[in-house]
Amino acid sequence: MSLTDASAEAEHVPEEAPAVRGKGPWRLAWERLARDRAAMVSLGVIAVIVLLALLAPVFAAITGHDPQAQFPETGLTPEGLPVGPGSDFWLGADSLGRDLFIRILYGARISLLVGLLSTLLATVFGIVAGMVAGFYGGWVDGVLARVLDVVLSFPYLLVAIVLVAALGASVPLMIFVIAFFSFAAMARVVRGQTIAYKEREFIEAARSMGAGKVRTMFVDVVPNLIAPVTVLATLLIPTSIVFEATLSFLGLGVDPRTASWGAILADSVDFYRVAPGLLVFPALMLLLTTLSFNLLGDGIRDALDPRSDRLLPGK
Amino acid sequence: MKIRDGVALAAIVMVAAACGGHEDHALPGGGGIPQPGGTLKVVGSGDVDHLDPSSSYTVVAYNLNRTWTRQLVTYPASNDFEKAIAVVPDVAESLPEISGDGRTYTFKIRQGVRWNTKPARQVTAADFVRGLKRLANPVQPSGGISYYTQTIEGMQEFFNAFQKAPKTAAGIAHFMAANQIKGVRAVDAATLEIRLTNKASDFLNIMALPFASPAPVEYEKFVPDGPDFRQNTISLGPYQIGNYQAGRTILLVRNPSWNQEADPVRHQYVDRIQITLGQESADVVQQLLEAGLSDLSWDQPVPTSAIQRLNGDPGFHVYEGSSLNPFLVFNLQSPNNNRALADVKVRQAINYAVNKVAIAQIFGGPRLNTVVEGAIPPGSIGFDADVKPYMVPGHTGDPAKCRTMLAQAGVSGLVLQFPYRTTGNHAKVAQSIAGDLGKCGITSNLIATSPDDFYGRYLSSVAKSREGKWDIGGPGWLPDWYGNNGRSVVVPLFDGRNYTEGSTNYGAYNNPAVNALIDKALTAGTESAAAGYWKEANAMIMADAPIVPVISQNVPTFHSSRVQNAVYSPLSQQFDYTQLWLG
Repeated sequence: MSLTDASAEAEHVPEEAPAVRGKGPWRLAWERLARDRAAMVSLGVIAVIVLLALLAPVFAAITGHDPQAQFPETGLTPEGLPVGPGSDFWLGADSLGRDLFIRILYGARISLLVGLLSTLLATVFGIVAGMVAGFYGGWVDGVLARVLDVVLSFPYLLVAIVLVAALGASVPLMIFVIAFFSFAAMARVVRGQTIAYKEREFIEAARSMGAGKVRTMFVDVVPNLIAPVTVLATLLIPTSIVFEATLSFLGLGVDPRTASWGAILADSVDFYRVAPGLLVFPALMLLLTTLSFNLLGDGIRDALDPRSDRLLPGK
Repeated sequence: MKIRDGVALAAIVMVAAACGGHEDHALPGGGGIPQPGGTLKVVGSGDVDHLDPSSSYTVVAYNLNRTWTRQLVTYPASNDFEKAIAVVPDVAESLPEISGDGRTYTFKIRQGVRWNTKPARQVTAADFVRGLKRLANPVQPSGGISYYTQTIEGMQEFFNAFQKAPKTAAGIAHFMAANQIKGVRAVDAATLEIRLTNKASDFLNIMALPFASPAPVEYEKFVPDGPDFRQNTISLGPYQIGNYQAGRTILLVRNPSWNQEADPVRHQYVDRIQITLGQESADVVQQLLEAGLSDLSWDQPVPTSAIQRLNGDPGFHVYEGSSLNPFLVFNLQSPNNNRALADVKVRQAINYAVNKVAIAQIFGGPRLNTVVEGAIPPGSIGFDADVKPYMVPGHTGDPAKCRTMLAQAGVSGLVLQFPYRTTGNHAKVAQSIAGDLGKCGITSNLIATSPDDFYGRYLSSVAKSREGKWDIGGPGWLPDWYGNNGRSVVVPLFDGRNYTEGSTNYGAYNNPAVNALIDKALTAGTESAAAGYWKEANAMIMADAPIVPVISQNVPTFHSSRVQNAVYSPLSQQFDYTQLWLG
């Protein structure tokens, strides 16, 4: 993909303020982001997916197909093959005669819920752990940094499979597992940034004015972490979504009755030759969602850090 | 036998067009003039469970056994189901002479049946005695040992004593030399006499199982089924194992010591049989067969999604099965829901709820599956098409009836613990049944398990069953043989007297009246007398509703276009390698 020059992006450029007015760093970042066409399209795609997820019950009511209701008479051939797209089943049915379209919409809810919540959790843990390690240094840093190394070196999929097998599949467990394996990456970045910042003059100034360590951390350091953390979090969301899909694909995700993209993809393994929709539609949704979040994350990084070089010329 | 995952599912045979008699399906490979030679290429996923016939207990191992082991009596090769399940002489010259009290069987060994030792050696009655003794060895006792301890005089005592012997090749050999099974005697080299504890009309079926293979004296040098044994098998069938690499490859080559005159059942048409393992995808196996790159599938079923497309293909055949696979079993010991499942009315209500057609669809639809309404499936003794107490027209379930009956039983808000295996179609079956139960107001708590845990930590665990870790489950059952097989269907599933850890009577069903009928059936002198008792037991069990029978799976099979004279073996659920040739 290549992006054309600014002339084609005129409609994305916010109107120039008539009066001369100072622009804050966030406003400047937004303006840069708004000029990034890929990021804006991605944002739009994400908005549509969120909207579809929110409206899932409405579509369920229109079609009369509950996401868990099975229609073996109408959704399957007598030989048990799923019917293709049509007026009754818009995208066809799955191998138990459930409405694929409705299940994909409900699957979006699971994906977004797991993606966002686990990222939130990972971010909070990551910031706390990384900041404590970076700010206090010494043995605290030593211990925390080694713990992070251990977490990062885990074969995370195996551990996740064992945990799910031992404790039973559920959405909260899934969120926790994904957060646990994502927070270390976040913590490392935060730790590095904190170490860099804590030697800077403005921290020294705060200290010299009598600010305590906790206050310095949260009032002076945290605002400087927002940019890298935002970028990383945006990029963690698609990773988490794929992780959830992977676990569900292996039959270790949520309850099998709950619609999930990974579970639908697992179902398609036996049927993709006769019902390609079972493979194509959830895969497309997964691709669109992860691609959008990744491109948006890229855009945010560029917007927040104008010094960094872009891989693709965007302006 | 308990159905293992990954092993071709389903059961017995019967020519697909049974009602039409001899239609073109009667000789699926086409028959014709045999053309010897060539290499039969077989492809599949997993190794045999055991190579030693005394302990091998899966359909794939049975099919392998057919090529290199033989028994006193066996099943003939026939695509006519009734013929294929009737015992015929094999190493025995003829069917045994049975004494007047029905308890002593005398077998005469056929001359010319030889081990492929150097030099080749005649098989003797002593080899069969050794074979029966080895079933009770303490290292790898046969999974089918109970069939022999239940019937042969002194076998139980011999088994008990053998378990205390040292678990070494020398210790085992020494014990076998020093101890005899009271009821088994080699009268002379060519005469074997077996005395039973009671009359048993199914004894020849038990002797036709591969467990009852003879064992040459050389086997005493090895621990049963040990690695040394696996590299030193001795054959008396048309083929011998030329190369065995666990989990990777099995090569069968012609056995030069075998001769056609001394084998009324098997043939030696192809030169070699090359079995390649490690192909985990049923889809890929099917593609290999259709492309002619392989000839037969070792253990992978024809993919369900391919069935519709394959209809009419000359290589595709469906043989009628006899199994309860799956069925829904109730944990009668569960303390959950105020012991609701101990109430027969609740179990009867749930019998009405299940949509059996939907589950048949999961396994490929009506041609591949027969809906079952009784505790004994068609093709097994005691099957009674008239016993269908909970039949719903169309077999699609009647949630309203279920609701009414639950209300009459004074039960509401049932929450059932429902473990299921994450492999194969089990998750779909669980979801389908959970959906049916939901329609009559029953909540299912689906619990994902591995295949081993499904039995070990749920269905077959006495403690977990009593704790209520599970309420309902969907296991499968495949009889060890067909026809006169009550000992392999009703006894393991419904005889409550033997309920113990690892039991296959998962729900701990125990009805003294049924147990009494079982005893009468097992000791009946004739098959027809036994059949009457089994039918009575079937009706009585269904009145108690300890299970929901769902479907009996038929067996879809496929062979490459090279394969001629494909004859299906019910016992091993595959085409018999010793009958076919390559065109």
